[in-house]
Amino acid sequence: MSARLGLAVALFVCVVALLAAAGPFLGGYWLAVVYQTLLAIGLAYGWNVISGYAGYFSFGQITFFGIGAYTTALLTSHTSLDWRLAALAGGALAVAVAAPAGAIMLRLRGPFFSLGMLGLAQTLRVVAASSGITGGGTGLYLSATVTPLAVYEWTLAVAALAFAVTAAIDRSAFGLRLCALREDEQVAGTLGVAVTAAKVRAFLISAAIPGLLGGGYAMYLTLVDPPSAFSTRLELQAIVMTVFGGIGTLWGPLVGGVVMSQISEQLWARFPQAYLMIFGGLLVAFLIIVPRGVVPALASRLGGPRRTRVNGTPAAVAAGGEP
Amino acid sequence: MSAATFAQITLDGLLLGGVYALSALGFTMIFGVMRVVNLAHGSFVVLSALLAAWTYERYHLSPLLVLPAAFALAYALGAAIHRFLLRRLPAEVASQEATSLTLTFGLSYFLAGAGLAVFGGTFRAVPYLTGAFNVGPFAIGQARLLAFGAAALLTGALALFLRATPAGRAIRATSQHAEGAQACGIDVDAVRTSAFALGSGIAAASGCLLSLIYTLNPEMGDVFTLNAFAVVAIGGLGSYAGALAGAAILGLAGSYVAYFANAQIAEAAPYVIFILVLLVLPAGLMGKRAA
Amino acid sequence: MSALLEVRGVSVSFGGVRALHDVSLEVFDGEVLSIVGPNGAGKTTLFNVISAVRRPSKGSVRFDGHELVGMPLHRVARLGIARTYQVVRPFHRLSVVDNVAVAALEHERTRAAARRVARTIVASVRLERFADAEASTLTLTQRKRLELARALALRPRLILLDEVMAGLTPTEMDEMAEFVLGLRARGIAAVAGIEHVMRLVMRVSDRVVVLDAGAKIAEGPPAAVMADPRVIDAYLGVPMSAV
Repeated sequence: MSARLGLAVALFVCVVALLAAAGPFLGGYWLAVVYQTLLAIGLAYGWNVISGYAGYFSFGQITFFGIGAYTTALLTSHTSLDWRLAALAGGALAVAVAAPAGAIMLRLRGPFFSLGMLGLAQTLRVVAASSGITGGGTGLYLSATVTPLAVYEWTLAVAALAFAVTAAIDRSAFGLRLCALREDEQVAGTLGVAVTAAKVRAFLISAAIPGLLGGGYAMYLTLVDPPSAFSTRLELQAIVMTVFGGIGTLWGPLVGGVVMSQISEQLWARFPQAYLMIFGGLLVAFLIIVPRGVVPALASRLGGPRRTRVNGTPAAVAAGGEP
Repeated sequence: MSAATFAQITLDGLLLGGVYALSALGFTMIFGVMRVVNLAHGSFVVLSALLAAWTYERYHLSPLLVLPAAFALAYALGAAIHRFLLRRLPAEVASQEATSLTLTFGLSYFLAGAGLAVFGGTFRAVPYLTGAFNVGPFAIGQARLLAFGAAALLTGALALFLRATPAGRAIRATSQHAEGAQACGIDVDAVRTSAFALGSGIAAASGCLLSLIYTLNPEMGDVFTLNAFAVVAIGGLGSYAGALAGAAILGLAGSYVAYFANAQIAEAAPYVIFILVLLVLPAGLMGKRAA
Repeated sequence: MSALLEVRGVSVSFGGVRALHDVSLEVFDGEVLSIVGPNGAGKTTLFNVISAVRRPSKGSVRFDGHELVGMPLHRVARLGIARTYQVVRPFHRLSVVDNVAVAALEHERTRAAARRVARTIVASVRLERFADAEASTLTLTQRKRLELARALALRPRLILLDEVMAGLTPTEMDEMAEFVLGLRARGIAAVAGIEHVMRLVMRVSDRVVVLDAGAKIAEGPPAAVMADPRVIDAYLGVPMSAV
C-alpha cells in the first residue's frame, strides 16, 4: 500500500471512530442531525454507484430502502430476532430482489431504465399500501424499540461502508470498466469489458446500501408506512445531493449530503409542500449551472485533467499543444 | 359474467383508451422529435385536469371550454421549459439523454409541488354529465363518450396538422432525420421547441378530458407518465399509429382490472401493467446489439 | 495453413435492405487484407458481423476455431479481435490514458498497472502530451490515433480497421500505411476497410477483397484484383494504370 493511500485510510478510520465515539455525548437534537446527515450521505452513495459510475440513472432505488424497512419491521415484530440481524436480512432481501429486477431493467436503454425503476418503486409502494401483511395504508408499528444511539451507530457503519466501497470502486479496475460502459456500452464490450456482469454488480451494490439503511430507518421511526418507507422525498434528496456534489465522483455524495442535509430536513419538516417545488427546482438548476457537480468544478480549478480545449486555443499555446 | 357485461366493460375500456391515446401522442411527439423521455408529462396532464375541476367548481364551466386555455398555457410553459432549460443543458454532462431526463424528473416534482400549492392535496374530478345513454343493452357513460369524442377530434386534428401543414411536416422530418432536416433549411432547434410545446399542450388537453373520468390530485403525475410510456412502449416508440393501438390495449386492460378487482388493486393496476409491459420488452426499448 | 479468420456465406438484411449477400473470405495470420468498395458496399456491416456487433441472417464466422456469431462482445475481444470505428468513438469524458487502460485491463490485473501500460502505448502513438487530457478535447486525427492505441492495448491477433483512411491528410495517410505495415511485424493480422485510396491499398495489402453492393466481386493479390475487369467496371471506372 502506498504511503498516500495508507494515510487516507488512517484518516478515514479516525473520522469514523471519532463519530462513533462522539455518539453517546451528542444530545437528542444533535444526534438526530448527524443521523439524518449520515442517512442522506449513505443513500447518496448508494444512488451514485449505478447512476454515477455506471451511468444508469435510477429513479427508484428507494425500492430497496423500503424493502429493508419493511423486512426489519416485520422480523422484529414477529420474531425475537435482534434488530441488527433483521436489518441485515432486510439488506439481503433487497439484494435478492435486485438480482432479477436488475436482470430485467438493465436490458433497457437509459431513459427507459430510469422510468422502469420509477415504476417499480411506485408499484411496491402501492402494493405495500394494499397488502395486509404490510399493514396496508396505515403501516406497521414496531413493537421492538431501540435507542436512537444504536440506530445512529448502525447508520454510521453503513454510510462508512458505502464510502469505502465507493472509494474502492473509484480506484479499481471494476470502476474503470463501469466508467467505460457508461460512456459507450458497445465500445466497452468490444474492448473486453463484460458489460452485463459489471452493470448488475453495480446495481446490486446500489441496492444493498439503501437496503441496509432502511432497516435502521424503520427502527428510528418506530412506524413503517408506504410513504415513509418508499419515500419519494428521500429518493429526490439523494439525487439532488449527488447531482450537486458530483455524479460519479468519490466525494460528490459526501459534499452534497453534508451541505444539503439540514436544508432538506428543515424544509421537509416545516414546508412539505414547498419541498417538492424547491428540491425539484434545485435539481433543474444544478443540472444547468453545475452540471458535473461542485467537486469536479472545484477540482478542475485547482488543476485536474485538462478539460478546456487544448488544441488551437490560448490554452494550447501556453501548453505548447500541437495541431 | 354475461356477454353483455363483457361488452360493456370492453366499450368502457375503448372509450377510455381514446383519451389515453391523446395523452400518449403528446408523449410520443416529444420523444420522437428529440429523444427526450418527458417525465413531466404526467404533471401537465394532472395539473390541467385539476384546473378543469377547479374551474368547474367555481364557475360551472365545462372542461371542454377550459381545454383551449389549458392547451395554450401548457404550450407556452412547454416552450419556455425547452427554450430556457432543456436547451441550456451543457452538452458534455452525462449523456444528453440522461441529463434531459433528470431535468424533466426535477420538473415533475416542481410541478407537483406547484400543484399542491395552488390546488391543495384534495382529490378532484369534474362531476359533469353523470348520465348515460342507453343504447340497447349498453350504458354509454355520457362523460366518457364526450371525452372520447373530443379526444378523437383532437387526434384527427393532430394527424392533419402533421401531414398537411409545413410546421407539421417539419416536425416529422426532424423526428426522422434531424441532420437531413437541417440540410433542408429547417431550424431544428425551433422545431424541437415547438414539438415540446405541442406535446405539453396535448398532454394538458388530455388532462382536461380525463377530469371527466378520473378523480385526481397533484401528486398523481407519475401514473399518467407511466401510462403514456406504457402505451408508447406497446405501440412502438415514435409511432403514432402504434400509440393508438397501445392506448386501446391499455384502456381495455384498465377497464377489466377495475371490474374484477377491488379499489386498492385498481390503484396499483397502472403500475403493474407498466411492469408487465417492460417484461414483455418490445424492441427499441433495449440497448441494441446491432449497430 | 488454416486461416485465422474464416467468414462463410454471411448475409445480412435489415429493413428490406440487403447489406451483405453470401460473403465468404479468409484472413491468415499476420497478413494484411484490404476490403475495398464504394460507400454502401457493406464494409462496415462486414466489420460489425466479424466483431459480433451485428448478427448475420445467414452464415458463420470462425476465429481460431471459435464460432463468433452470437458471441458476447467481450468474449470476442478476449479471443483477440480488436476493432476501430469508422466514426471514432472515444470514451469522451475519460482521459486518453484511461481510454487505453480500459483495453489494457484485458492483460493487466489492476487499474494502476493498466494505466502504466496504457501510458506507454499512448506514447507510442505520439499522444503523450495529451495523456491526461479528456478524450473529448482531441482533434479527429488524434482521436484516430487513440482508437489505434486502444486496439493495440488489447494485444489482439487481429485488428479490424474500419475506414481507416477517412478524414486524413495525404501525409497522415502515409503514416497510417506505415502503421498498418508495422502490425505485420508485430504478428498482428489486419483487415483494413478502405474506400478510395488505391495507391495505399496497393502498398499495404497482401491480398484484397472487393465488395460491391454487398457481394464479393473479386479477391486476390492487389495488382491482380485492380486489373480485374469486373472491378474496374464496378468500381474503378478506369484501369489502375491510368490513375
